[in-house]
Amino acid sequence: MFREIVFSKYYYHKINLLMKFNLNLKTIIVIFLFVSNCSFAQQVLEWRGIQRNGVYPEKNLLTSWPEGGPALLWENASMGNGYGSPIITDNNIFILGETDSICYLYALDLTGKEIWKSKIGYEWVYNYPGARTTPTYVDGLLYVSTGMGIVSCFEASSGKEKWTIDMQKINGRNVRFGYSESLLIDGDKTFFMPGGADTNVVALDRFTGKILWISKGLGQIPSYCSPLMIKLPQRNILVTFSKNALLGIDASDGKLLWSQVQDGEGDVQVNTPWYENGYIYYISGDGNGAVKLKLSDDGTSITDVWKNKKCDNLMGAFVKVDGYIYTSGYEKRYYYVLDEKTGDITDSVKFDRGTINYADGLLYLYNEKGHMGLFKPAGPKLEKVSSFTVTKGTKAHYAHPVICNGILYIRHGKSLLAYDIRVK
Amino acid sequence: MKRILVFAFLSLVIVFSSLAQELTVDQIIEKHLKAMGNDIMLKVNTIISSGHITRQDYMPLKIIRMRPNKYKMEFDMQDITAYQAYDGTNAWMTAPWTGNMEPQVLTGGGANDMKSKAEFDVVFYQWKEKGHNAELMGKEDYNGLEVYKIKLTQADGTIEYYFIDSRDFILQKKISYRKTRNGEMEVLTMYSDYRDIQGMKFAFYTESLMGGQPYSTIEYETIEINTKLDEKVFSMPTE
Repeated sequence: MFREIVFSKYYYHKINLLMKFNLNLKTIIVIFLFVSNCSFAQQVLEWRGIQRNGVYPEKNLLTSWPEGGPALLWENASMGNGYGSPIITDNNIFILGETDSICYLYALDLTGKEIWKSKIGYEWVYNYPGARTTPTYVDGLLYVSTGMGIVSCFEASSGKEKWTIDMQKINGRNVRFGYSESLLIDGDKTFFMPGGADTNVVALDRFTGKILWISKGLGQIPSYCSPLMIKLPQRNILVTFSKNALLGIDASDGKLLWSQVQDGEGDVQVNTPWYENGYIYYISGDGNGAVKLKLSDDGTSITDVWKNKKCDNLMGAFVKVDGYIYTSGYEKRYYYVLDEKTGDITDSVKFDRGTINYADGLLYLYNEKGHMGLFKPAGPKLEKVSSFTVTKGTKAHYAHPVICNGILYIRHGKSLLAYDIRVK
Repeated sequence: MKRILVFAFLSLVIVFSSLAQELTVDQIIEKHLKAMGNDIMLKVNTIISSGHITRQDYMPLKIIRMRPNKYKMEFDMQDITAYQAYDGTNAWMTAPWTGNMEPQVLTGGGANDMKSKAEFDVVFYQWKEKGHNAELMGKEDYNGLEVYKIKLTQADGTIEYYFIDSRDFILQKKISYRKTRNGEMEVLTMYSDYRDIQGMKFAFYTESLMGGQPYSTIEYETIEINTKLDEKVFSMPTE
C-alpha cells in the first residue's frame, strides 16, 4: 500500500503555494500534474521518508544480494561525525556532520561530491559525539537542528542561512545525549521541543523563525523523538515524546490535547510514533514497550488497546506491514514480529539490534554490528534473504539507512555510502 | 572359587589402573600449558588483539601487550575512545564519559588490577615460584565436556577457579570475584572459538556473566604476534 503513496509532502507544499495565488482547484490539478510529470524521481525530504515511518515507495529493487552485498557506487568519507541520515532531492543530497565541535550542513550532488557546506553552530560532543538529526527540505528551504539546540533554516541552493534560534536561550533544557529532534514542517510552521518548564514545545514561522506559540506540555525535559503529524478533518495533531510521556498537541495553537505518561522514569524516547486508520502505535524501550492506542475521531482523546513491554526497541524504529509490526529488541538483541491486533510476539530472529526500513516488499535491517540484512516480512514470521557487512566508515552503526531511486544510502559516522540495489 | 579370585584380581587391576591414570594438579597444569602453546608464547614479545566488546553498546576494542608487563586497552565508550594502560611502572586511564578527557594516574586497587592485567605470561606459568597454590577440586560436566576444576589461590590471596578440558587441556571457563558497590560478585568467563596462531591457542570469543547476569562478550577479529612496537605507546600522554 505504501507504494501507492503519491502525495509526498513536497507536492503538498507546492499545492499550498499555488492556493496562495487564489487559483481554482481545476487549474491547480492541471498545474500539479504538469509539475508531477516534470520529475519522475523519488525524493526523501525528511527523517525516515514521507510519513516519517521508514517506508520508501520504491520499485524494482533487488530481491536478494550477491555475496559481499550490492555494488558500492560511491563513498564520501568527509561528512564529519554523526548519526543522522541524509535526505535526497532531485539533484542533491543533504546531511549534517560534526567537526571540531561544530555542526555543518553539507550539500552533495547525486554522485556524492560536495557542492557546499555551511556552519550551523555547536554540536553535542560530550558522549556519542556528532550530528544527531536529519535535515528537512521544503520548497527550496532546509530546516536543521543540532545537539546543542540550535535550530536554523538555510537556502538549499546556496547554503545561505535565513534564520537561526538557540533553543537553550528560551529556557530550553538540554539532556544527557543532546537534543536529537529532526524538524517537522506543517504548512507554514515548524516545531521543536526546547524542554523548558514553561517553554516545552514551540511552533515557529518556518520563513522567519518567529515563535508562533509556546506549549507548556507537561513541563518535562525533552526526549529524543522526532515528531509525527496526524492530520484529521478537525485538527492537525503534533505527536511526540517529552521525558517519559507521549504528548498530543494541537498544531494550530499548542494546546495539549492528551498525554500518556510511561511506567517508570526512563527518559530515552526516540522512536517516532506511527498513525494508521485511527490508531497510534509507538515503541518506547525506556517506557511502556510496544503500545497501540485508539485516537478519538476528533483527536482529543486516546484509549489503550494493547501494550507489550517485552518489545523494548530504543531507537531503531519499527515498521508495520500487512498487519504485523517489525522491530528489534534492545536488552535482548533479536528482531521481533508483533501481531498488530494483539501485540503478541509471533517471531524472533537473532540479528543483533538496530534499525528497520521497508521498500518494495522487503525489510532492510541495519544492526549495531554493521550488518545490513535483507529480510522478507512473511506475516507472523521474519525470513532472512541476504546480508552483508558495512566495513567502511567510523564509530557506531546507529544512523537509519535511506532508500531512494534504487540506491541504499548508509551513513556510518564520517562516511556516506551509496549502494546500487536496482534490478538491472 | 578360582573364578571369584580371578574376577577380584581383574577388578583390582582396573581400579588401580584407573587410579594410576588420575592426574595430579601439577600434571594437569603442565599439560594445560603445553596445550595452549606456552613454550612458544615464552618467545613472543608483543600481542595485539583487535575486535569488539558488547556490553551495553557494541564497541571497538584493541588490546596491546608487550613482554614482560606492558599493557594498553583502547575501547570506545559512548563512541569516544578511552584508554586503560600500564607502562611497566605506572597505571593510567582516561574516562571521557565523565566529561574529563585528561588521562589520570591510577592508584590503589585500580592500579593493582591494571598491573595484574599487564602480566604477559599466563597465571599458571611458574605458579609455584610466584607463590600461588593450586588445588584440584575434582571433575565437572560443562556443556557435555568433562573438565578439571582447579582452585588457584594467588600469592596475594586472590582466589580463582579454572575449568580445563580433560581431553585436550584447553581452558574452558574461569570463575573470579570482583568487588562492587553491591559487595563481591562472581564473574564467570567462558572461552570459545579457539584458533591456532603460530602453534598457540587463542580464544576468539569470550562471554562473561556477573552475578549470573550477562555482562559482556568479546569477539576478536585479529590477533597479531610480534608486531614491532614503540614502548611509548604505553606511556601516559603528557599533553
